[in-house]
Amino acid sequence: WRSPRSSPRRAARGVAGATAGRTGAGPAAGPPSGRGRQRRVAEQPEEPAGDAKKKVMEARASVDVLLKAVGDTPIMRTKKWASFLKLMGLRFIYVNQSFAPSPDQEVGTLYECFGSDGKLVLHYCKTQAWG
Amino acid sequence: MTDDKDVLRDVWFGRIPTCFTLYQDEITEREAEPYYLLLPRISYLTLVTDKVKKHFQKVMRQEEVSEIWFEYEGTPLKWHYPIGLLFDLHASNTALPWSITVHFKNFPEKDLLHCHSKDVIEAHFMACIKEADALKHKSQVINEMQKKDHKQLWMGLQNDKFEQFWAINRKLMEYPPEDNGFRYIPFRIYQATTERPFIQKLFRPIASGGQLHTLGDLLKDVCPSAIAPEDGEQKTQVMIHGIEPMLETPIQWLSEHMSYPDNFLHISIIPRPTD
Repeated sequence: WRSPRSSPRRAARGVAGATAGRTGAGPAAGPPSGRGRQRRVAEQPEEPAGDAKKKVMEARASVDVLLKAVGDTPIMRTKKWASFLKLMGLRFIYVNQSFAPSPDQEVGTLYECFGSDGKLVLHYCKTQAWG
Repeated sequence: MTDDKDVLRDVWFGRIPTCFTLYQDEITEREAEPYYLLLPRISYLTLVTDKVKKHFQKVMRQEEVSEIWFEYEGTPLKWHYPIGLLFDLHASNTALPWSITVHFKNFPEKDLLHCHSKDVIEAHFMACIKEADALKHKSQVINEMQKKDHKQLWMGLQNDKFEQFWAINRKLMEYPPEDNGFRYIPFRIYQATTERPFIQKLFRPIASGGQLHTLGDLLKDVCPSAIAPEDGEQKTQVMIHGIEPMLETPIQWLSEHMSYPDNFLHISIIPRPTD
């Protein structure tokens, strides 16, 4: 017996997601701003960002993480991240607007358990929002 | 037949005899005697070791003391894992008392989270309960509770009050009778031999055909390496609260009776000792 949730396709995605923290995961896997991105763009000047994202989704090399600001937290320049690296600097992160993920929980695990439509929605803020 | 409620008590009152010793390189003004304590399995190291901290600080100069942390045979012990899980994962099959080394210097930033106050433990504990309820009831039960009920769960754990905790926690263990179980089982599987922190996936307590899923079904599905191949030798032990439950045990029953107070089933997979 296999649950539909653990079909090989999903499992592959989850495992890949677990390594999403590595910047080398794919063209769109790095932080969307900063030096890393610029260097990558310089290497592939002909590739628009949208295509890069699509390519990653096709290759299932990473998990789409959608970040939403809470309250008066400044909104980040871009809401879509394929990398979890920068997240670590944020003070409070919430899944499903209800709980903070465990400190050593992998993004792939969070996505498998709480993601939907290929996205994991995380809310972030500087102070505690949901008890 | 024993009442299943007895199991809840046995889990709650599980204790591990422990000997705390100060790390040899810590500088003291006089000799630091070891300190013995019965650690509650369901609690957290930094929640129950105030006496240990005081005991060793007495023999140290104030300037030598910074944040306390614990280690077992070279492994820094994560305070945000329940004590019973730390023991099952790292120290099963060793002689008691459990020998833990106490450090006040060189905090291993890479391995451990800081714990400057009990509020940090409370926040972590409540986040786990909420995550578990998101899996069990789409967060409906925990969201319908009042703030004081949340507080009662925490105070019950902090003050080791079984009745106080379970008066509220039983609501988190209920489900609609027509469902025969939770939506998904909140579980985490830890392996002593891998780098991954733990395995956590969506797993339903009831199969599509209506039969109850067992602990064996769960392991087959999410961690097949833990199960012995047919006619093969069982090379691992599957531990919860220091025992090896039968693999035929329904996972719904385990979730209701053998979960830690954070509402997760913490399952350790360790190598079977060869003797």
